[in-house]
Amino acid sequence: MAAGGEPKKVKSAIPPKTMIAFGLIGGLIGVYAGHFLSDMFGPVLSFFGALGAICAIVWGADTVRRVCSYGIGTGVPSIGMLAIGIGIVAALFGLAVGGIAGPIIAVIVATILGLIIGLLGNRLMKMGVPIMETATAEIAAAGTITIIGISTAMAGTFEITGIIDNVIANGFIAVVFIVGAIAILHPFNANLGPDEKQDRTLSVAFIDGSIAMILAGIVVAGVSLASAVPAILIGLAIWLFAFAKYLGYVKRDAYKVVGTGLLPTEEELS
Amino acid sequence: MDPLIGMGVLALMGAAAVIAGISEDSESNVGSQSNPNSQVQLAPQMMYPHRIFNKAISGEPPSNALMCAIGGTTAAILMDALGMSALFSITIGAFVAALAHGSYSTMSFFGRPTSQSRFKQPVYMDILRGHISPIMAYAFVTTFSIVIISYIMISVLNHPFPLALLAFIWGTAVGAIGSSTGDVHYGAERQYQNTEYGSGVNAAQSGNIVRNGEAGLRNGIDNSWFCIKFGGPATGLAFGMTVFLSGWITMVFDPSISQMIAWASVIAGLLIVLVLIIFNRMIEVSSRKSYGPYKADNDEVTA
Repeated sequence: MAAGGEPKKVKSAIPPKTMIAFGLIGGLIGVYAGHFLSDMFGPVLSFFGALGAICAIVWGADTVRRVCSYGIGTGVPSIGMLAIGIGIVAALFGLAVGGIAGPIIAVIVATILGLIIGLLGNRLMKMGVPIMETATAEIAAAGTITIIGISTAMAGTFEITGIIDNVIANGFIAVVFIVGAIAILHPFNANLGPDEKQDRTLSVAFIDGSIAMILAGIVVAGVSLASAVPAILIGLAIWLFAFAKYLGYVKRDAYKVVGTGLLPTEEELS
Repeated sequence: MDPLIGMGVLALMGAAAVIAGISEDSESNVGSQSNPNSQVQLAPQMMYPHRIFNKAISGEPPSNALMCAIGGTTAAILMDALGMSALFSITIGAFVAALAHGSYSTMSFFGRPTSQSRFKQPVYMDILRGHISPIMAYAFVTTFSIVIISYIMISVLNHPFPLALLAFIWGTAVGAIGSSTGDVHYGAERQYQNTEYGSGVNAAQSGNIVRNGEAGLRNGIDNSWFCIKFGGPATGLAFGMTVFLSGWITMVFDPSISQMIAWASVIAGLLIVLVLIIFNRMIEVSSRKSYGPYKADNDEVTA
């Protein structure tokens, strides 16, 4: 973003507070719905966990967008990795000690860890980003809900024994980690530039979230084969819908979308 | 394990690694990922609009870790839950990974130029149509080879890690090697063919990448045509050697036999690294002497 000369503060049509409410409340509702509905009706309804993860991913992507507009150009991927790194520590801690309150404890722990890391970044490393502390806390919390949400969708429960058996012991935590991290960092990274728009970036967050959901559907086939069907189908539906929206935004915002053609002429550029 | 069979297994892994390295580098070159991407991103802002695919998923290590983890996970589920054969599972896993990678690439292709609309960078749909299939095909080959390496490590060499995790780790490794080895050939050479060899990327040249091709306007496929001649094989060789030599030292000096032999394997590893460092230095010095412009620069300073 350095060469664009854009204003320091990005314009957001949807205010950050709404995004926090959407990610936090939607995410936790999804995680708890995935857990309890799977308990009652079997893992076929575990996909609610992935829906919760999508809410958190959209929130995380919006926070990345806000913090990275302060000129953290190549740091965009690092911020996403940081989010999910804190998230994985906080999620496993919260689920291990919290029992039924596990996700909430995990989010609280992640927020505290995020605040500390944000403070270190700003005070010790002198990054000088005004919203660094709160933004790091937000992405940490979003990363935590993402990890718990995708894991719940994969295991059909967020009890730590179920998560260890179905997500960690067989190594699928690797895919949870990387698909969650990319989903949080990729939307803004893919739309980086002076003419970035919030709705366009967030529609990519939905697309990336739907890929995470489809993967959770593939993995939950290991628990029971039939449970894979709703997660994969709903994931594909979200992908198609979000992609249609995204393509619309691209056509709205681009200089021009052409089938083919030569480069703009000198007169056109000046 | 019989040492000869062990060597055969290592050779197979090395061969798969060479293919993975070549396809990884070509994949990143078709889409201009990683380091060269910064120049592709910068070009329109310096009034140099172009017809080059702008694939900004993330750095190469995370994006390759992503597709290999997706491939490994899908293959593991198909093998364990559905009881499918290994080859079939790995093929479907690599296919799913290629689809996911295609999705991430498409979003970046649309997003980056659109966010540069004030610099009048158009979005060319034929570039998407022409480039997305090679990108996905290379992603398929990379994922397939990496998951094969991981599968051989588990099934033959009895590695304790699960398939998805090993594929993730090797994916990160191939991405890191592709980023450090192959990108140089694209970023410093191909994008700056109009500057003198060895002059580096001057700040005044930032964004002034070569935009005209051998015929017509240059695109990502022209770049992969150039880079497959040297950058791709160099990456493949580097990654193949990493996989082969890191396995070779413990295959020849098996640490499970005795403590002494374990230390011998460590020393053998250090010796290999030392030889490679000296060899690299010699190549660098001789190429600077033969082609570099620094001699003339030094004369000017002394004069």
